[in-house]
Parts: sequence; structure tokens; C-alpha cells
Amino acid sequence: MLPVLPALRELLPGGLQRGSVVAAGDCSLLCLVLAAGASIAGGWCAIAGLPDLGVVAAADAGLDPGRLLLIADPGEGWPQVVASLLDGCELVLLRPPARPSAQVRRRLEAVARRHGGVLVVAGDWDGAQCRLIVARQEWTGIGSGHGRLRARLVQVVADGRGAAARPRARGLWLPGPDGAVAVVATGIGGLGIGGLAGRDGETGGVASPWRGMSAG
Amino acid sequence: MSKARGAPRRVLAVWCPDWSPDVPDAGPEARAFEQVVAAVAEFCPRVEVVRPGICAIGAGGPARYFGGEEALARKITDAVAALGIVCRAGVADGLFAAQLAARAPPRDPAGASAGTGTPGVIVTPGVIVTPGATPAFLAPYPVSVLGVPVLADLLPRLGIRTLGDFARLPVADAANRFGVPGARAHRLARGLDPRPLTPRQPSADLSVHIDFDPPAGQAEPVVFAAKALAGRMQAGLAARGLACVRVQVQATCADGRDITRLWRHDGLLSALAVAERVRWQLDSWRASQDAGRSDAGRSDPERSGPGKRDPGEASPAGGIIRLRLVPDQLVRDEGRQLGLWGDAVISDRVARAATRVQAMLGHEAVMRPVLAGGRDPAEQVTLVPFGDSRAPLLPAGRPWPGRIPAPAPATVYPVPLAARVTDDAGDAVTVTGRAEASAPPARLSAGGGPWLTVTAWAGPWPVSERWWAAASARRRARFQLVTGDGNAWLAAVQDGRWLIEASYDLTVDATASC
Repeated sequence: MLPVLPALRELLPGGLQRGSVVAAGDCSLLCLVLAAGASIAGGWCAIAGLPDLGVVAAADAGLDPGRLLLIADPGEGWPQVVASLLDGCELVLLRPPARPSAQVRRRLEAVARRHGGVLVVAGDWDGAQCRLIVARQEWTGIGSGHGRLRARLVQVVADGRGAAARPRARGLWLPGPDGAVAVVATGIGGLGIGGLAGRDGETGGVASPWRGMSAG
Repeated sequence: MSKARGAPRRVLAVWCPDWSPDVPDAGPEARAFEQVVAAVAEFCPRVEVVRPGICAIGAGGPARYFGGEEALARKITDAVAALGIVCRAGVADGLFAAQLAARAPPRDPAGASAGTGTPGVIVTPGVIVTPGATPAFLAPYPVSVLGVPVLADLLPRLGIRTLGDFARLPVADAANRFGVPGARAHRLARGLDPRPLTPRQPSADLSVHIDFDPPAGQAEPVVFAAKALAGRMQAGLAARGLACVRVQVQATCADGRDITRLWRHDGLLSALAVAERVRWQLDSWRASQDAGRSDAGRSDPERSGPGKRDPGEASPAGGIIRLRLVPDQLVRDEGRQLGLWGDAVISDRVARAATRVQAMLGHEAVMRPVLAGGRDPAEQVTLVPFGDSRAPLLPAGRPWPGRIPAPAPATVYPVPLAARVTDDAGDAVTVTGRAEASAPPARLSAGGGPWLTVTAWAGPWPVSERWWAAASARRRARFQLVTGDGNAWLAAVQDGRWLIEASYDLTVDATASC
């Protein structure tokens, strides 16, 4: 198992299964936060296919820039590049340049299993062991013409196969007012998890407890 | 001429002040030093490259041939000056003293104008330290020239300010108090070689080589193989408890020509660093080949710059068939103590993966980020190709007032996207010279994408940067915008146009949703 940040432990009990593929559903800060745990634990991470990545944000999320490889454009032969990276790095964050064929998917899954690396996909991946999506998000600290962006509340839903089959939803600060990722402390019990697991996010049930949490 | 026992041989060092010591030793600036090396190699083929900006030759033989050390120094400085490069040469006992002699101010000011080089280039032959006078020459230098930061800090506090003071310490006491680096520095201060050469010849051939069949036309596979080869050479040396002071890189072409160069090693170069030097050697050699060929084609003797190079073109000499690394000047390996903290150690596994990707996509395709200073999100990171080392462009750890407050945006566009921002009525929002918005922004279209509703916004924050330099001066008014899809944007108005500088979420481009 690769460790994850403490804030993600309830969503991913035990961490990220080595040799697995995790689909982060959407391009979001969530991908970087998923990779941060492995980086803090001393592992190397590679990020492929995200040419405009803000490295400062990655560093704030917990990725050590000293143990980070950036491959802005993996090109036509990206499956081969990702396979090479999985050989060397504990975690590879990939935004596939094209929709992978079933053959490519199976091959990369096999490479990940053989080397014990984790492939985090920014996007969708049929057959991923674990899926995470940001169901809803809200910025705090900014108003109409005043304030500034300070923190963001997100609702993350995780589901997957096997042991991870039951969908779990948690509210997270991503990032929090102090820059770190944290679990939203109160009010989570009342969230309509069943309604959120439908993956479309916007459900009426969450609105009221959500509004109750202020940016303090 | 009798030589004192253990006294080092005569060395001529060539110093070019255009290359500062901060130049990373694997970048393009470093490779540009090759033309100086090639000019010096005309006088003595065994040129040793200490670092970009400094190279050295053994002065004994060439000095006898060219009519004395001073004549040799003058000929070499003239040859380098003919390239349009400022250089100085110094001769002394041992490499360390020769480097200082090359950098020393000339004793006879009239000598400064005696050169016969290109007009406009200052030719100063530098200082010749007569044999045996090296300790006296070194004595007035401050201890900081030893290049050992610990000693440079500690010795002055002990009242030892110059190399002469340091050299007067008994050898045993210096070694007891300052350890292996101290003993080495003490030998330097006394005008000796830092480490005595191992007196016996090694019984085994410690050189390593690799053959290429078919010949390698591109530099990439040779450099790739050089990494493994350097690792093998170092393993072979380490098994015998030896280290080498210099490494000779010898590449043999299919037409039988050899490209040979000596590199300063001191047992400190990693396999990756040796491979970088192989790349440097091959690149510059290819450039000179191409230049030679285009010269011949145009029969134009004026032309000396490297020719235009097509990266896809095969190597002119039929490719490299053999690469050989020969360890030179073997010494006992005294080991090196790694720091307890700091340096991220690149494991072999990561280096292998990164170099394999570099072999597929090119050297610049695998980058390592270095955090830098600066106000813009795009300025705050310097990307360095894997295997190079480079300092950030703007220093980190300074306050940089006016920088974008945290949280940092997750997507930073190196070239800002053009955007359109309108108010409720559909008119473009403008910013006055007094940094007031004409109306609250209501809708945003980034990079020609769909119109998004602005749900919250803040700004404008005026930024006026480098107003003292017309070329890089910039006035912007920044906004933060939150749109209905939950994303937040860092936007700016510059010269009446809206730009999206960054997005707080990870997006590939503004038009395609993930």
C-alpha cells in the first residue's frame, strides 16, 4: 500500500493499493493530493501529460519538487513512456493524450502490477480499482468585489471494486485556509451520501448542512 | 632540472572569465566552452577540462617545443583571443596554483597590451610562476580560494587567514584537526598535488568500453550507454579501492577517427555527470565537423562558426562504433562522507526510467522543477532537464511583495489565454487608470470557450513591474474570478485586454473539459 495524506484516510482506508489504477474522474487538485502521500513518504512521482501544471500548487499540496519528474508531452508513444515511468516511480499521474484502447489499458495495468506502482489517471479509466470524483465544490473568502480566494470546500466521493465497493463521501478542505488539505470537521454525518453516490454531484440534500459551514 | 620529491608537474591553465563558476556544467553555455578547448588542443592534445571556463595542459613538453613557457602562454592566449574570447593563461607547479596564476593580475602592466590578438580583445598572458616558487606565490592568498566552505569559515576564526599561514601548520596537526578534506587542502596550500599519485601501475586494465553495431549515428544512444559504462568503470575502481583524478573519454568513429578528451573527475562525478560530458564532447565535435564540411563546400576561409545542424541527420563520420572510458591518474579512494540531510538522492531506478524516457522523447522532455522566486505564478518555477543542474532564474526565499497570495493556482498558462469578460449588460468590463473596474464582471469566456457565469470576484489589484526597464515593464490589473462551474481563475487586464493567467483547478485547456 502507498500511504495517502491523513485527510484522505477515511476515503481510502489503508492508502492506495500498489499495482492498481486510480481514476480521479476529473482534472482537479484532487489528483495532486492523491500523489502527495507517496511523495511525502519518500517516493518519486512522475506527472505526464499536464503541460500547464502549477508546480507551486503541487508543492503546496505536499508533492516534493525534488522528487518529481514532469513529462509535459508524452507524445504518440505515451503508453511506452508511462510504462517506463512506472518502472522507476512509485506513482505516475497521467492525463492520457488520447482515449486508451482496451489493449493499452490492460498492458499498463499489467506493468503497474509488475512494478508495484500506482497509476493515477486524471480522467476516466474503465476497469480502475478505485474512482474518486469531486461532487461539488465551493470557494470561500471571496465575495462580489471584495475578499480573495482563501479556501475551497469540496465533496469527494470514492467508490471502486472489491473491498472499496461501498461509495464513501467526505467533505474536504482542498486547500484549507492554511494551505493544507484537511477533513471538514463538522456536519458530515448529515450529508446525504446515498444521493451523492450517483456521481452527478448536485443534489439538493447536501445544500443545507453545507451552507452552515462558514469559512472560519 | 632536479625536481623536489612530490613536487607536481608544470601545468598551464587557461581561464576565460566569460564563464562564471555558477555556469552549470552540463548546459549549452558549458558546451560553448568547447571552442576554447579545441583551440588549446592545437598546442597539446591532452587538454583537461576542469570546469566550463577553465582548462589545463601539462606545460613541460609544449613549453620546450614552443620556446619557453611564456611564449607558449602567449601563443595560446592569442589563439583563444582570435576566437573573440577573453582569456588568461597561467603557469605554475600543479593545477591549483596554475588556475590562480591564470586569474592573478599581471605583474607588469605593460605586458597587458603586448598581445597580438584581435583588436578590442584584451590579451593578457597572465602570470608565470617559476618552478619552485609556487608556495611563495600561494602564500598571500586568502584560505577561501581552497574552495572548502568549512575551512573558509573556520580557519579565519582560528587566526589563519592566508594559505601561507595554513601551510605553516604541521602536516599531522592539519590532518588531525580537519580530516581528509583538510589534509588535501593543506597539500594544496603547500603547493603540492592534493593527493599523491598511486606509485604503482594497476595490474589490470581498468578501462571499460562498449561497441555499437550498427554504428550509432545519433548522440542519444551513445550518451545512454555512457551512463551504464561510467557506472561499470566506477564499480571496477571501487572494487580495488581506487578513484581516478581524470577520466578519458574516447569515441571511435566508423571511419577510424578518435574523438578523445580528458575530463576532471576527482572521484566525484556521478555516472550521470560522466554521461553529460560524453554528450558535451559529441555535440561539440559534431558541430565542428559540420562547420568544417560547410567550409569545404563553400571554400570560404572567413567562416568559422558551427554550421547549421539538422538533428535528424546521421553523424558525418559514419557514426560511433566504440565508446571507451579510461580512468587516468589513479589515487587511493579516501571515501566521501555524504551529508545526513539535504540532497534528494536519485536512485538508480528513477535515473534509469528518466533516461529511458529521454532516449525516447529527447533530453528536454523530462524536467525536474526547481522552485524560484517571482511575483507571477509562471515565474515561480524553473524547469531543469533531468540530468542537468541549474539554479532558479529568480532567487527563492525572498519576500517578493505583491506576489499572488496563497492558495497557488494549479494550472499556470506559460502564455496567458485571451479572454473576454462582460458585465450584466453584455459590455466588456474595463479598468481605469486609477484601478477601478467599470462594472462588476458577470460573464467570462476563456480562450474562446463557452460563456461562464461569474459567481464571485475580487480585484482589481494593480501590478506595475519593472517600470524602470522599458523592454520588460508591465502594468496589469489582476482579478480573481469564480465561475458557475466551480472553477476559479486568475485574470488580468493589460493594455485593455483580458488575459487568463492561471486557473485554480487543474485544466488541460479552457476549451476542452476534462
